[in-house]
Amino acid sequence: MTDFTEPRLDHPPRPLAQRIGAVLWPSFFAAGVATMVFFAFVDPLTLRDMTFPDLAISRELGYTLGFFMFWLATSASSLFTWILLRPASRFNRALPPD
Amino acid sequence: MSTPAPPPSPAPDTAKRRIPLDVVDAQGNSFYVSERKVYPRDVAGTLNRLRVAAVWWLLGMYYVFPWLKWDDRQAVLFDLPARKFYVFGLVFWPQDFLLLAVLLIIAAMALFFFTALAGRLWCGYACPQTVWTEVFLWMERWTEGDRSARIKLDAAPWSANKVMRKGGKHVLWALFALWTGFTFVGFFTPILDLGARLWPFAWGGWETFWVFFYALATWGFAGFLREQVCKYMCPYARFQSAMFDRNTLIIAYDPMRGEPRGPRKRGLGSVLERARGLLDQVTAYDYVVRANAHPSAADQRLGAHGTITFAGAGAVIEPLPKFVPDQLGDCIDCTICVQVCPTGIDIRNGLQYECIACGACIDACDDVMDKMGYPKGLIRYTTQNAIDGKPSKVLRPRIFVYGTILLALVAAWGWGVFNRDVLIAEVLRDRNALYREVAGDQVENSYTLKLVNKDQQSHRYRVTLASGQPGIRLRDGELTVQAAPEEVLSLPVTATAPATLRGRHAVTFTVRDVDTGTGKTVESSYFGPMQ
Repeated sequence: MTDFTEPRLDHPPRPLAQRIGAVLWPSFFAAGVATMVFFAFVDPLTLRDMTFPDLAISRELGYTLGFFMFWLATSASSLFTWILLRPASRFNRALPPD
Repeated sequence: MSTPAPPPSPAPDTAKRRIPLDVVDAQGNSFYVSERKVYPRDVAGTLNRLRVAAVWWLLGMYYVFPWLKWDDRQAVLFDLPARKFYVFGLVFWPQDFLLLAVLLIIAAMALFFFTALAGRLWCGYACPQTVWTEVFLWMERWTEGDRSARIKLDAAPWSANKVMRKGGKHVLWALFALWTGFTFVGFFTPILDLGARLWPFAWGGWETFWVFFYALATWGFAGFLREQVCKYMCPYARFQSAMFDRNTLIIAYDPMRGEPRGPRKRGLGSVLERARGLLDQVTAYDYVVRANAHPSAADQRLGAHGTITFAGAGAVIEPLPKFVPDQLGDCIDCTICVQVCPTGIDIRNGLQYECIACGACIDACDDVMDKMGYPKGLIRYTTQNAIDGKPSKVLRPRIFVYGTILLALVAAWGWGVFNRDVLIAEVLRDRNALYREVAGDQVENSYTLKLVNKDQQSHRYRVTLASGQPGIRLRDGELTVQAAPEEVLSLPVTATAPATLRGRHAVTFTVRDVDTGTGKTVESSYFGPMQ
């Protein structure tokens, strides 16, 4: 009934650069697209007035903050995906000695 | 990928020891097998009673709370349109967001603390996935029968009986899931009103959507995905090693006592009462590894889903020799611990991230030990240290650190909840003009004063203006307003000063509760002509 699959191969760990890249790059790309779409409709100054009217936030700072907030969210999601896709053998190890 | 690599030919003993894999792509291009359905066998025992009690308690709270009343309103209501959360006697406002954040941190810290202390209690007894799956399994049992009946029914060709049983199950599941979705929306929309609008049907679009969406999620997760959520979707399982140590209570099989496993004739006593006694650790764990690599016929049929990998790639694991009855340990290899496991693992292989610590294997094994006349506890709640014959330490730095942080957070949160300000005062300057010149050589500044009375009683407030600079005053004099319970007031106020006063000056609005004398001050600015 369910067609979920489980891999038979225990893949060896991938190089660090590949792991970091596979998390940060797709999330960077997604954050860029999200920032463009979001700020095409929302003016950072309007947003500031609705939320923190006392802070001196310029448009440029608003775009920058927005981008990094999107990137934080998308990269956290990518990191989560990476953790879930790690093979079981990375987790099923004996408890460390005292 | 024009020429897919041929699948690696299995090692000779691999082919022999594993049941045939269900390969999705029959052409042999796929390394993936479809997930095999787990049919958990019914189990009875102390831990199972504990879990059933947890199910009744937790789901009881879920299904009953929306129907409770508190002072003419729903006791637990998350009123999103009004931006207010009611939890019994407490009301939470958007400004109380910090409390919600702290509550989430408390939840995380409690998870760390209890996991370090006693393992995955959450998974076994409290996780909604476990709790709802349990209820869906009850309904499956009522309609399709016990484990062997369910396996037979699934394997049987379609018949009137199969349609009736499967259909009955899905009707029960669907009704229960819809009721769950209805209850869920009842936390956000007054449930009596929602129920009254069911017939004739007058639900809003979003109410309808969420009832069905939540019902669909319950049905899918508890009916079909089940243990796959824990194995493939849950991050907690993967972080368990960060919280576990050798003094954490885990569900563990005692290989020193149990190995070598195997069937035997009645009459052979427990190793605890025999000359053989407990094995040494090295031998016992070696037997576990070898038994896992060369399972008995019964084990093989079950094909436990464990993903544990003991040896490095390429290591050759020798099969076990034939043991005489006197050498056998207490495990009779009846495989019931595997059959009852809701995630389909073999606990005898040791701690695995797939184990949700439900304790079904403990209940099942204790039952078998009883029947054999052996002492209980071949599989038991214990620590790795205890299994290895070392003393366990409950009070250890990790426990103190988690415990202290948890206590401090709970105390801070409790204090914060009961010492919240009942008044919020904010002053917004008019954004269109810094100042306005009016007749009589006066200059005016406009503000909007926002007062929120978060209390359940009404209050009267007096608003005054003070400034280090003489001459700035409220144009209409002191302002006294009445705020009903939970009312948000938006008051236009105007400050005025002679036109001779130039530049920016700090001003302070004071809002004082006329009856109690408590109050708030808000800083703002007054602008006169600049040049």
